[in-house]
Amino acid sequence: MVTAAAIDDSSLQLTFVLFLTVVVITLFTALLTAPQRDEISEFYLGNRAMSPLRNGLAMCGDYLSAATLLGSTGLVALTGYDGLMYLGGTTVAWMMVLLLIAEPLHRTGKFTLGDTVALRLPRQQRPVRVALAVCILAITTLYLVAQLVGSVALLTQFTGVPSGTTRTLCVVVIGTFVILYASLGGMPGATVIQIIKAVMLIVGVLFTAGWVLHRFDWNPNALLERAAERSGTGVTFLEPGLRYGGTVSNKLDFLSLELAIVLGLAALPHVLMRLLAPRSSSVLRSSVLWAIGLVGAVCFGAGILGLGATALLGRDTILDTDRTGNASVLLLAHELGGSVLTALLTCLAYLTLLAVAVGLTLAAASSLAHDLYSEVIRKGRASETEELTVARLSGAVIGILGMLLALVAWGANTATLAFLAFAIAASAILPTIIYTLFWRRFSAKGALLSLYGGLLCSVLLAVFSPVVSSAPASFYPEADFAWFPLQNPGIVSIPVGFLLGWLGTVLDKGPAEEAGTHEEFEVRMLVGADD
Amino acid sequence: MPEFPPRRDDTPTFPLPHIEHTPPSGISDHPEFHSLRRAQRRFGTRATILSVGGFLLYVLLSSFVPAVMNQPLFGHLTIGLALGLGQFAIMGVTAWCYVRHMRTRVDPLARGLRSRLHENENRRARAAAPPQGAGQPGQPLRQGTRGFRTW
Repeated sequence: MVTAAAIDDSSLQLTFVLFLTVVVITLFTALLTAPQRDEISEFYLGNRAMSPLRNGLAMCGDYLSAATLLGSTGLVALTGYDGLMYLGGTTVAWMMVLLLIAEPLHRTGKFTLGDTVALRLPRQQRPVRVALAVCILAITTLYLVAQLVGSVALLTQFTGVPSGTTRTLCVVVIGTFVILYASLGGMPGATVIQIIKAVMLIVGVLFTAGWVLHRFDWNPNALLERAAERSGTGVTFLEPGLRYGGTVSNKLDFLSLELAIVLGLAALPHVLMRLLAPRSSSVLRSSVLWAIGLVGAVCFGAGILGLGATALLGRDTILDTDRTGNASVLLLAHELGGSVLTALLTCLAYLTLLAVAVGLTLAAASSLAHDLYSEVIRKGRASETEELTVARLSGAVIGILGMLLALVAWGANTATLAFLAFAIAASAILPTIIYTLFWRRFSAKGALLSLYGGLLCSVLLAVFSPVVSSAPASFYPEADFAWFPLQNPGIVSIPVGFLLGWLGTVLDKGPAEEAGTHEEFEVRMLVGADD
Repeated sequence: MPEFPPRRDDTPTFPLPHIEHTPPSGISDHPEFHSLRRAQRRFGTRATILSVGGFLLYVLLSSFVPAVMNQPLFGHLTIGLALGLGQFAIMGVTAWCYVRHMRTRVDPLARGLRSRLHENENRRARAAAPPQGAGQPGQPLRQGTRGFRTW
């Protein structure tokens, strides 16, 4: 995968020191702000009195993963226009959250998505909660493994392909930090690391982007010209089709990917959990606006970084270091600011993936403890202390599961795993959210069918796609059972998820919910019970 | 029960059956409630279709009619790149419109209905039981009984 270590030893040592300093400081802060009492509301939602800016920073921190910092910039550096379009999708995804999901969900929600659905379908809430927990667990585990695999891939940039021991050590150290933050710190602890990470990410990316533009005398046209010149592809670099061009299936693949990214965000469990944290929906509105602005700024900066990497280093240097382009930001940092800037950005990348992993673990733990244990297994009779213990334990279990899977699949492509998680979120969970909020006939059977159906459909399509077999980069390159031509299942599985939800509801002949349930739900969704 | 003004005939986008089953809050058939729902839903759907659909259209155009997107505007800025930058502008404008719409059209209605809701509740002396399964968001949750610190 990698022919040479990208960065020298001194910046590796500096990175190590920086990363440890930041982690130790944030860990202490996280533990100091950890839930003081056995209160599940504090563990799940954290400090609810935070300002919109801080909430927005936390949302931004939860959302932007190392894939954005390293993967997308690499994509821009290697494929120009197609990579820029991908970055655009990352930002546009927030629009649906702002316009349709955030405030209704906030007014009807309590701790998890299961609570909202239970308010709407109280009689059959238990099977729906189980289905939601299964889907959330699938999404978070995939995404968590993607982050941990990303940490190994990042290490590869420094040391070449790491030995088994180094690999294990890297995953175990990161995974242990994740468990400590999530299980001990809960949401307050996670918020601390999200905010610190978001501030560092925004400052780091915008500062480096400014440096790149400064090199070109703040003339974007000069940057574009030089990037096209040194991309080895000339003007085509600034035209669509370098990555996702040629055949129709290639183009549909890109559309499928964008669809999953744009729709999947609104259904990602850790982002949904963040939406419930602000106390009032007016604070939530301003928070989401901040998040959109900050995410947009980071994506904009990342685009400049990608173009700058090609313009200053040339395509061949980037490709020689790492075929996937993930090294481009670090190479660019080395070119601009030597080993200090490289170390800073590497530390940032580690912190980014650590923070996202914490958010995911926490979301999975709260779903397991609240939906599965407290509401289904104990049928709502569990005490807060008990539920909290289960939440902390499940955080540890999920963290360990993620570590084991990451060690098995360390060679997997981080981006592929993350995209699959987005596709599952968009096809399994999004239909349930939309129908619950906006369709008065929606029934439990529809929810179950769309949750399980969307999950199965996206996973099966991924299994029978070139991701798993038949292509040189797939898990089993020798075998060939890839009858589904696209790498991203979204374009098929998202409509299937919505269709199944509709079908299940229409065919549902079971006992209806009590009259007035929907009216009450709607009143709460629009008028709200508070503020 | 307070007397409500008669229903406007254009309001019910969704007919609400079983009104006689005492709708729990008593305001879900109020005309203001209908216009609130319509105001919020219509704007949300339209704006989402505009921004998300617009972006997906841009992706499709880039994939299938690259010749148009590659027309240079000035320097190396092609129509495609300009439209990509335009996505950010559209998002900003949509977000601004959303905030303005909510502030002028939706929030006042919701506030009025909320006070009416509280009035009704007080009048009924809280006869209606709270919904089972999930508690009210935002209400102070039960305090932990013991004050020790657990990690």
